[in-house]
Amino acid sequence: MSKISRRKFLAGSVAGGAAVMMTPAQKSFAAGSFEGFPEGMGVLVDLTRCVGCRTCEAACNLEQKLPAPALPFDDTSVFDEIKHGQKRRTTDKAYTIVNRYEPKGADEPLYRKIQCNHCNEPACLTSCFVNAYKKTPEGAVIYNSKVCVGCRNCMIACPFHIPAYTYHSAINPVIKKCIFCYDTRLKEGKPPACVESCPQQVMTFGKRKDLMKIAHERIKKNPGKYVDHVYGEHEVGGTGWFYLSSAPFEEAGFDTSLPKEPIINNVKDFLAIVPMVLTIWPALFTGFHLLATKGKSHGHGDDHSHDEQEGH
Amino acid sequence: MKKLETFGIKPHDADLKTNGKQWSVMEKLLLGLTLDQYIGQAFRNKFNWFLAIIFAIGIPVIIYRFIFSLGAVTHASYDYPWGLFLGFGLFCMVPLSASGFMLGTTVEIFGRHDFEPIERLALLNGLLGYFFAVVYLLVDLGQPWRLAYPMVYSFGPAAVLFLVGWHVATYLSVQIAEVSTAFFEWIGFRRGYEFIRKGTIGLTVSGIILSTLHQGALGALFVYAPGKVHPLWYSSAFQWIHFFTSSIPAGLCMVISVSTVVIYTMKWRCDKRFIDNLDRITISLAKGAAMGLATYLIIKFIAIAHDNEWAYFATGWGLWWLFEIICFVTLPMFILMYGIHHRIVGLCRIGAFMTVFGILLNRLNTALIAFNWKLYQEIPHMWEIIIAITIFAIYVATYRFILARLPILYQYKSQAEEIEVEVSEEQVAPAKA
Amino acid sequence: MVNAGKQLMTGLGVLLLISILAMSCYAMDVFPDEVEIDVLENLYEGVAFDHAMHVDATENCSVCHHHTTGTGVESEYCAKCHDGEKEMDSVSCQNCHSADPVSAENLHNPKPDYIYHDDKPNLKAAYHLNCIGCHKEVDGPTGCEDCHAKTEAGDKFYHSGEFAPKESAKGSGH
Repeated sequence: MSKISRRKFLAGSVAGGAAVMMTPAQKSFAAGSFEGFPEGMGVLVDLTRCVGCRTCEAACNLEQKLPAPALPFDDTSVFDEIKHGQKRRTTDKAYTIVNRYEPKGADEPLYRKIQCNHCNEPACLTSCFVNAYKKTPEGAVIYNSKVCVGCRNCMIACPFHIPAYTYHSAINPVIKKCIFCYDTRLKEGKPPACVESCPQQVMTFGKRKDLMKIAHERIKKNPGKYVDHVYGEHEVGGTGWFYLSSAPFEEAGFDTSLPKEPIINNVKDFLAIVPMVLTIWPALFTGFHLLATKGKSHGHGDDHSHDEQEGH
Repeated sequence: MKKLETFGIKPHDADLKTNGKQWSVMEKLLLGLTLDQYIGQAFRNKFNWFLAIIFAIGIPVIIYRFIFSLGAVTHASYDYPWGLFLGFGLFCMVPLSASGFMLGTTVEIFGRHDFEPIERLALLNGLLGYFFAVVYLLVDLGQPWRLAYPMVYSFGPAAVLFLVGWHVATYLSVQIAEVSTAFFEWIGFRRGYEFIRKGTIGLTVSGIILSTLHQGALGALFVYAPGKVHPLWYSSAFQWIHFFTSSIPAGLCMVISVSTVVIYTMKWRCDKRFIDNLDRITISLAKGAAMGLATYLIIKFIAIAHDNEWAYFATGWGLWWLFEIICFVTLPMFILMYGIHHRIVGLCRIGAFMTVFGILLNRLNTALIAFNWKLYQEIPHMWEIIIAITIFAIYVATYRFILARLPILYQYKSQAEEIEVEVSEEQVAPAKA
Repeated sequence: MVNAGKQLMTGLGVLLLISILAMSCYAMDVFPDEVEIDVLENLYEGVAFDHAMHVDATENCSVCHHHTTGTGVESEYCAKCHDGEKEMDSVSCQNCHSADPVSAENLHNPKPDYIYHDDKPNLKAAYHLNCIGCHKEVDGPTGCEDCHAKTEAGDKFYHSGEFAPKESAKGSGH
């Protein structure tokens, strides 16, 4: 029933506090505002040119050595495939997908190619707790499967529903997504397989900043042909692949409610409090402890009336 | 057990037998019964049979999951990467386990020793909740054997999940240390017990820090998905505060709920101190929970106002949100308040169960139901549900196993204090220093 | 960068036989009746292009050849600079439209800033955009195999024909 000595008290809280301090506190400094590598490559996707031939899907399948498809790549019945009320999406066996949309008032369908948009500040990258993802100076968002734990947080974080997962592998399930053909092509300055295979040059490959000018030029030079918006110029902080469309983007299945800032900006509010809690809480609560127990017995089982203290 | 009591057999609760001999560990494990008595009572207990049936079905399914991949037991959805294992297992178990740091703070930091009879139950509830959240995580992870990668091999410090991982791991260690006092007492290792007791304040303070951060961090995980979580359940500025504040009533109500279950089903294990104090403590805990719920409720509406989302109330999602908030936050709050005011323990308990359910609903809403609200509703695979239930059953069984043995609900009579007869009112633990 | 072209870039292989065009299109009244477009062929066979029929149908060379044939400019936008243009030495597509505009060499030796036409489609796209763009308006053929038959390499590439997935043949795909 003796009092706790100050020294012992401090020793205890330092030991506990040290364990906490070992955990990295500098998270909030890790993410600044980043607008992409200046020389980063990108792709301008002009939906008005796409005829839905799916050649890009076939080219991707071959280049990335993906498993054989369930249906031939020239079979257009896949455009009618609906699962859970949704059109097709990227999977662990198909890193790119073309879907068909029927915009209101348009006399012909609009096709949209879906693949990783290679964000300037990728949500997948910032959500990965093993730092598997990397944004290369060439503009690709690549990842290291060897460290993937399989938490699938990147799938939660990706605003475009891109990363897929090899759920059916028991031994080595990992994330799978488009890597801009980084290993086989982009690294050497070559355009990705889908871009090269396209008969209509729906996709134009080049430096992102040059392509952005071209995109705006196309809008300017073809009045009435395009919606005056480049999807991906500012969405979630800007994406390496961006789109021109003749119909409002939401009618071609794009999520037009995405914020302009990178996804990580939403999380910064929280990350900022981390160092504060780590530094303020120990002092605050040990202070509370000293105040609350000052002059009282530190022994246990003291039978003071609880009723007096329950007012707060 | 009841039946045995009628024959005058008492469960083991002290170092020494009535004849002055020491209990062996084996005898302690058997609760001081003979093997025949133990097996006999285990077979008589219908709940054991219930658990056995769940295990018989569920454990093979868990083994099946590890042999044939996650895709074999779930819908392998790319749009719902997190299913029940995380939606229930991680996001529900962790807030319900906030009791450890809540009661630790109350007793150790604020010196409210009147809560002491329930402190250990709260600590154990915290430890087991976290431990089984990790078990759920291991089942859900694609490569659970790489779980330590963010700790030792490949760091992603800008990620919220990195924070969660580190803090849950550290906090789990803190909680093991906190609960180990009970284990050391039981096993008869006094020096270990005293060593840990000396660090109590440090452990408790680090517990508060870690809890604040990772309870909030679980909410912040969903801030990554602004387009996916329905705006009513999403708030980039308040998400972590919602998760943190709601974890306070969640933890407290979980303790009330568990103690209620315990007092009705395991009364034989509770000592006089626990039984006599429980009603008073329940009402005190209910006060904390009601305050927490009120705070939570206010912040919920502040978040709606902050993002100006009132218009959503006119939609089906709005009704669903109001259902959650009115029926499982506001209503239990008033029930608790009424119960506190009129000192009706039963009402407090009903309010607590409702609060626990409300937290489950909120976390499932955020993680599964209102997630991908623009896409479609995922209904978990049959086997996914079975696995989730099985792990929960293992959790319950472990909980019961420990409660039946370690001095959680009763005070352990160590050799030194064996002579004292009226120990029950006085704390057995030696004063620090 | 020759390798690059080999495998994939020629998704739909086509090429004008520019030698014929270059030499015979100096005057409006001298043009080939048929053009075999086959240099880019790989996944698809070459196209036997009925030039005479298209001349009859369009009547104005600049519908396809921009301003290069000296028959005036169709696009109002192009006319701002190219109005009253003289006939060019060469009217072939590939003189302006490179087959591989994004080759590594081209990327590392960027065009000077004063180049106005910095958004030219590559040769394959120049053909397809020109043909399909017009065919859509006049209900001409727009399907891939309406113009050129798929080769064996094409079947392999698209997993079609004899390379079609087995399950889908049984109709279990859906």
